[in-house]
Amino acid sequence: MRQSPQESRIMELMAPGVLCREGFLGHDRRPLVGILDADRLAVAALGLSHEELAGLLQEVLSAAMDALGRTVEAGRGLTAVYREAMGRIPCPFGHGGMFPKGQVELSDAISGMNILFTPLSVHLIGAHGFYQGLGARYRIEPADIAEILKPGRTRL
Amino acid sequence: MISTLVACVLTSSLAALLVVAERYLANYGSCRIDVNAAAKVIEVQGGDSLLMALRAGGIFIPSACGGRGTCAYCKVKVLSGLGPVGPTEQPMLSGDEIASDIRISCQCKVRNDLAVEIPRTLLEVKAYTGVVRQIRDLTRDIKELRIRLTDPPTIDFVPGQYVQLEVPAYGDSRESMFRAYSLSSTPSDEGWIELIIRLVPGGICTTWLFTVLAEGQKVTFTGPFGSFHLSQENTEMIWIAGGSGMAPFWSMIRQMKQTGNARPCTYFFGAVERRDTFFLDELRTMERQLEWFTFIPALSGEADDDWTGERGLITEVVDRHVSEGSAAEAYLCGGPGMIDAAIKILRTKGFTDDRIYFDKFE
Repeated sequence: MRQSPQESRIMELMAPGVLCREGFLGHDRRPLVGILDADRLAVAALGLSHEELAGLLQEVLSAAMDALGRTVEAGRGLTAVYREAMGRIPCPFGHGGMFPKGQVELSDAISGMNILFTPLSVHLIGAHGFYQGLGARYRIEPADIAEILKPGRTRL
Repeated sequence: MISTLVACVLTSSLAALLVVAERYLANYGSCRIDVNAAAKVIEVQGGDSLLMALRAGGIFIPSACGGRGTCAYCKVKVLSGLGPVGPTEQPMLSGDEIASDIRISCQCKVRNDLAVEIPRTLLEVKAYTGVVRQIRDLTRDIKELRIRLTDPPTIDFVPGQYVQLEVPAYGDSRESMFRAYSLSSTPSDEGWIELIIRLVPGGICTTWLFTVLAEGQKVTFTGPFGSFHLSQENTEMIWIAGGSGMAPFWSMIRQMKQTGNARPCTYFFGAVERRDTFFLDELRTMERQLEWFTFIPALSGEADDDWTGERGLITEVVDRHVSEGSAAEAYLCGGPGMIDAAIKILRTKGFTDDRIYFDKFE
């Protein structure tokens, strides 16, 4: 699968040490279009859209950010806390916009699952269908979002 | 299929050739950059970005990304000599900024004579080198750096201002970058600066500061920058900070003590847990020594029974302690969430926007 020069440029920005120390691709060796395609199929198999999954994360993000560092109850067995960090980071897809560098830790006491995501993660999923490469610090499996934040579970 | 591949290879090769030719063969000759209507004129060899050309001429525009066109900090008003706004600048400029001739200086090449307008305070910014003499853990994720200046040997600044520390290329990063940190030392500590820095998870620069930088190592920085400093008024003031937002206030309070400035001041400092606090003993000692100074630390998370400070979010604590502020000033430093929430509270107490000063970490 051949990448366009624009996709190659985006992948350069996603490499470690360019916009953030570890980059966005983890140990994933697939071209960007391959990563996007695989996650598009995974999301379709869930019967959901990128926008819906991003919307679920956005609700948790907003509640956690509003709590200013306090842990919030996001649903049955679910807690979330937003850790603010200095600075902003741009979207590697290059259409502008800077996102706060803080991160949300979403914990599910029932399954023991933890999800780590950032304001940029939510944007990347909603606007670009990009869940980051396998092994990336903020990679989220679409199925994990759907499982943790399924209807009836959250209280936000 | 083969013809498409051949076309792709040819196009890519031509593009690469153009980049190489631009870099090594294009000769734009000597160009003049007229700064602030001939207040300063810089002669540079054309071809560099405006950001780097100004830097070569001793004018240091704040920039965090090292000229990659991703931070959008290096905005400069260009009055003449540049073509239209380029596609790499467009997303980082508002319509008003474009209409006001603001440009992203790292994305503009100097190819002929230019005229620019730069705030006077930036013309006083210098480049410094120093040696790290002490790195101290203040909390689990906050360090204090004490740096001995070598060239120039001293720096003039006002408490509240910041410097831009250069982080060299290391690990996977291929270019140096700059990050802004408030000065926590006092101007009287001649020949030294101190910085209070909080680790950003996965951050390129703070990871270097926390894991690579060692005592005895040379560092470079530019500064001082910023207009966050105490006004000349003598009215009562409140300070609100969280985490490494302590830095400017740690400088201010010590300078006030040294200079005998007895302006009434209440300092609200917020942290999540006890282990996230620092300088508590020093500030409580100052509170006992200085009758005009009140220090109110607060924990928003779990607090031990022996915690004698306040409990709750710092904004809630401010809400409980401050009744009326229409004649007072407020100074805030910390994350955007805390600052935005605090400003809402302050407005309800009568603080007017022109008396609320803040240094927002974004």
